[in-house]
Amino acid sequence: MSVRHIWAVTRKEINHIFRDRSTLILVLFTPTLVLLLMAYALTVEIKHVPLAVLDYDQSQASRTFVRQITAGQDVDLYAYARDMDEITSLLMRGQVKAALVISSGFAADLQSMKGLPVQIIIDGTEPESGNFAVQHIAQSAEQFVNTALAGQLRSAGISAQSLQPLDMRIQTWFNPDLKPRNDIIPGLISMVLGFPALSVALTLAHEREHGTLEQLLATPISRTGLLLGKIIPYIGVGLLNVILIPALAIAWFHISFNGSFALFFGLSAIFLFAVLSMGMVVGVLMRTQAAALALSFLVIFFPGFFMTGIFFPLASMPEEMRLESLSLPGTHYAIITRGIFLPGVGMDVLWPYAVMLAVLGVAFTALAALFFRKKLG
Amino acid sequence: MFRRIWSLVVKEFIHLSNDWWLPAFMLIGGASELLLVGWGTSRPVQNLPLMVLDQNRSAASRQLIVSLENTGTFRTAQQVNDMASITAAMDRGQVTAAVVIPPDFSRQMDSASGQPGLFVILNGAESTPALAAQRALQGLASTIDERIVLRRLNLDSEQFSGFNPSLRVWFNENLSEALYTTPAELGLMLEFTVLLFAALAFSRERELGTLEQLLVMPFSSLEIMIGKAIPVVIVGFTDFLLMLAMIHFAFSVPVRGSLPLLLVLAFGYLLVELAKGMVISVISRTQHQAFLLVMLVGMTDFMFTGYAAPVEGMPPALQFFANFVPAHHWLEILRGILLKGTGLDVLWPHVLALMGLGLVIGIFSWRFVRRALD
Repeated sequence: MSVRHIWAVTRKEINHIFRDRSTLILVLFTPTLVLLLMAYALTVEIKHVPLAVLDYDQSQASRTFVRQITAGQDVDLYAYARDMDEITSLLMRGQVKAALVISSGFAADLQSMKGLPVQIIIDGTEPESGNFAVQHIAQSAEQFVNTALAGQLRSAGISAQSLQPLDMRIQTWFNPDLKPRNDIIPGLISMVLGFPALSVALTLAHEREHGTLEQLLATPISRTGLLLGKIIPYIGVGLLNVILIPALAIAWFHISFNGSFALFFGLSAIFLFAVLSMGMVVGVLMRTQAAALALSFLVIFFPGFFMTGIFFPLASMPEEMRLESLSLPGTHYAIITRGIFLPGVGMDVLWPYAVMLAVLGVAFTALAALFFRKKLG
Repeated sequence: MFRRIWSLVVKEFIHLSNDWWLPAFMLIGGASELLLVGWGTSRPVQNLPLMVLDQNRSAASRQLIVSLENTGTFRTAQQVNDMASITAAMDRGQVTAAVVIPPDFSRQMDSASGQPGLFVILNGAESTPALAAQRALQGLASTIDERIVLRRLNLDSEQFSGFNPSLRVWFNENLSEALYTTPAELGLMLEFTVLLFAALAFSRERELGTLEQLLVMPFSSLEIMIGKAIPVVIVGFTDFLLMLAMIHFAFSVPVRGSLPLLLVLAFGYLLVELAKGMVISVISRTQHQAFLLVMLVGMTDFMFTGYAAPVEGMPPALQFFANFVPAHHWLEILRGILLKGTGLDVLWPHVLALMGLGLVIGIFSWRFVRRALD
């Protein structure tokens, strides 16, 4: 295996990519572009959730309660419904995401301190907005009860806070407002950096499909050298994106980057080696580009999106699934990116994940070389 | 004309059978992937690592720890003796939440007007579990509040119903994750299958230089396009049926509305995505290019299906853009028919939008193909 030989394959591959400008631009920028789009879409601020109200009580107290709930920007009064049928229809049509039903004894129950007879109904098909409305209404209800019963409580010699005696203080570290995009965007880097792996699978199958692989094999290049030469340009593509993406995330989306950039760059290179090796395995196995693409979607892209703990926490997955997750380079890398972006941890914390990435990379490369020899030996 | 189209379809199927991996992946791949992904992700957020620093060590604090574990969100609490352990575990991402119970917790609980304190630290480096932990903790706090209030004000628990609103979730009574994640996952896999397959239709022939051969034969551009489209539609629709059966039987996603209506609309949606794929196919010179364009288009569409973030919370410009994304309307239709049991009377705006988009993209696609082929 000589460096000159590997370089020759690399140059050939670079020529392939450079020959066509639109391919070049797409290969170079698709990862960053996709991340940019997703970052925009994740800039979600739930506000103005439309709420329908069905008020059976029609009292001064119930109207004050509704006014208090819909005062801010969080929840908007969409309509007063006449009956349950109207509530049903509004929820069915998706015109409201939550509905508030106030029972007829509202004012009386409140004054006699029996409770707060209200019910919130939310649309369970997309529960984010509904859950948000529930939290908001529960908070408003607390304040409302405190104010409404202040006089009574005082005469009974109890302070107003007594209705919520537990003083729970919640502090969130690393991401004070708990904004999902602050951790999902770093996590998604592992997904978009998987795109070059699909390109690797394609280019290897490309040689088979066009019958040019035999020509390459007739040259004095060793098989491992051929494989390495093929992935080097894509490691370059990946590293370019490794620089672009944090730059965008910090400058444009104001996501904090608290760790060391050099460490991020270095570990990203190991991740690229691992994930591109996965692409090699696929590319070596398949004879046509279409089949290589279909298989890469099944084993690299979809699992890299859903099973790496970016959206759904690893801890909550079934035991057996966690094993599959751990065999994906993206799982370890997503932990690394989040760790470097948010808590800003260093190698003392991240080394097990780095080791796992290296192990996976070597294993996949060996697998690719083995299949390669077997198929063409 | 039909005979000629038929011969084109036969040619496509010969291609497919030469490389049987491809149809196998396209057909079974989607459904089995959905089974795996659905199995992994369709459960409530649970089993989250929890740390407790109990400085009180009383019956009351132990009871609190048990209640924390009983929320179902956390696994058995790991007890530690100092803040340093919590800080270290937080840095390492080993815990989602840490609860500190102060030394005077039980005294404050027992006194008539005391305010028992609790200090909670959430690990914001992963927001999904942190938000679930926050919800569980707030729910527990209001339960404890109510218990204390009952005792202190000497209220009758039979009479007192609490000052917290009761909650009902419609269309998904148990708030099962599978009901809102698996339809979106199905949507993504279906879209990518159809887009990819359609996008390779012409780019493959062009890359391999066989497009010229096809053009010298006595086929019109419309015939070539239909001949290319039929296998994609057959594979795409079969894939959809398999995946629908999968989420229905494996994840108990109900079909509350009309199944025939769903099938008709699914077919229509496939045609729209097919037309999009055809446009990609003729503007790409190589399969590599076609693939990269599919990634861009497919991922953009996916953001508007409500999987990662609700569309109604997005910036206004993006909410407006969502109207032009077929997948957005399709997911509204899919969720509506499956979960809400709605029919055309409610869904017509989305159906109309889908038809309009289909018409525009279809005409655009046909003109594109014709220009590229003539």
